Amino acid sequence: MSAEREIAVDYLARVEGEGAMYLKLRDDEVIDLKFKIFEPPRFFEAFLRGRRFSEAPDITARICGICPVAYQMSSCNAMEHAAGVQVAGQLAALRRLIYCGEWIESHALHVYFLHAPDFLGYNSAIDMAKDFPEQVQMGLRLKKVGNQIMILLGGREIHPINVRVGGFYRVPTKRELETLVPDLEWALDAAIATSKWVAGFPFPEFERDYEFVALQHPEEYAIHQGRIISNRGLDIAVDEWPQHFEETQVEWSNALHARLKQRGSYHVGPMARYSLNSDKLTPAAKKAAEDTGLGPICTNPFRSIVVRAVEIAFACEEALRLIDAYERPAEPFVPVEPHGRVGYGASEAPRGILYHRYEIDEEGLIADAHIVPPTSQNQLSIEDDLKAYVPGHAHLSDEQLQWQLEQAIRNYDPCISCATHFLDLTVERDAPGS
Amino acid sequence: MKRLVIGLGNPYRRDDAAGLEVARRVRTVESHQRMTSSYELIDLWEGADDVIIVDATRSGAPAGTVRHFHPLKEPLPNRAFSSTHAIGIAETIEMARQLERLPPQIVVYGIETGDITAGTTMSPVVEEAVMRVAKEIDDA
Repeated sequence: MSAEREIAVDYLARVEGEGAMYLKLRDDEVIDLKFKIFEPPRFFEAFLRGRRFSEAPDITARICGICPVAYQMSSCNAMEHAAGVQVAGQLAALRRLIYCGEWIESHALHVYFLHAPDFLGYNSAIDMAKDFPEQVQMGLRLKKVGNQIMILLGGREIHPINVRVGGFYRVPTKRELETLVPDLEWALDAAIATSKWVAGFPFPEFERDYEFVALQHPEEYAIHQGRIISNRGLDIAVDEWPQHFEETQVEWSNALHARLKQRGSYHVGPMARYSLNSDKLTPAAKKAAEDTGLGPICTNPFRSIVVRAVEIAFACEEALRLIDAYERPAEPFVPVEPHGRVGYGASEAPRGILYHRYEIDEEGLIADAHIVPPTSQNQLSIEDDLKAYVPGHAHLSDEQLQWQLEQAIRNYDPCISCATHFLDLTVERDAPGS
Repeated sequence: MKRLVIGLGNPYRRDDAAGLEVARRVRTVESHQRMTSSYELIDLWEGADDVIIVDATRSGAPAGTVRHFHPLKEPLPNRAFSSTHAIGIAETIEMARQLERLPPQIVVYGIETGDITAGTTMSPVVEEAVMRVAKEIDDA
């Protein structure tokens, strides 16, 4: 007797944007599985054409209200690469600092409000807040500390307005930055406490042999710069991206699927960064990781919540280090003239590598733009996770299986707004005996 | 006693800007304009005794209809205040209730929208409602 069934989630909650999941099973065999993105296409790459190169950071920031800094940094990197300019010293440090703010804010949102309810059996953070008010308060305050960095350096927390190609419009004084220190010191302790809390959650036994792809930098845990590497030998400069990666269109997703040529799916984001660069974490973050028992490499995607907590600790510690070493630069930016050139840029958005490529014409107008956000890159990996997870868990009820599969999707903190933009899950099984 | 007005809305979706416009026009009360209502509002109203939130609604009532809601008595009707994208004001208020961080007094004005297509001008009836609500808040 074989039982075929179907599980469909038409609208996946607690992700950024609009998407769905569909699963069709016969006994424990997956007949069909799709992670669907039906958010309408947003055409950013098309309407960048004809705009001045200097507008790219402000236009692309609008792709996402959660990770605008990532868009600003990757687009700036690309324009500067085109012009052959390297932004270094304290300007680079300030970029890293505002990026730390975005990591803190984005990770705190996901850990506390989007993902923790899955592990603790709540439908929403509001339901969870009844029983875990202290943790939810901590999550709110952590998010706020991240926002404070964004406000101070960026002018406002969402879609900052102070970032420009070559640096900033205005750079803060040391004294201004020092006002962040007490809150960041609190946040570092809170992040370490968070890592302990989430490490105690019940994790499904599930490991995958991923190809992890992340930026790597010889001196630091890569955020705003580095080479693109993987645990299977990839080691390339950002401008070699097109030789190694490709995007394909599938009919069930409005976001292009990215894959490694000849190899297929790969995994970007906190787990990839951590597994490739955990030796570069700051001391307290490294200790927090050790105390949670993560080990140097993490291959259970459900434990990504622990990695995010460790990365919050890292971002707080790094922000404190950057503020301590800060000396106000004489000029807030360096001139960048990318006319008639092609530029490539990448940085580590909270959800993974964000790749930009621009062609600039002789007048400084964008002739072509190509943007690959992390969630587009993780779509195949998400589907592969679900396909690998289902066979060992087909005995679960539809309700339980759906819960765990949604949780597995949220392991990636998918940002469908970025990838184009959401999520609906359908699990379909035929009635027994049919 | 500290009174605070928080106007919510999208300035590029015509009548959806009603809450923002009220916040911009009130003269006698500290006011804030926000494009999204996220949990950050809970921090924003910290320390205020009397909080007035103004948001656009979409419930099917005639455009320009003004309604008062009292979250201390009952939760907001989530459907009328839904957000297309972020956490809505109804959810923010429920989170604050769980955390026991609702202000001592809070009222939510809902201004019913007509046209929420892309644009920066409001329908005349909604414009009128905005002026009425701003005056009501200033006169109170």
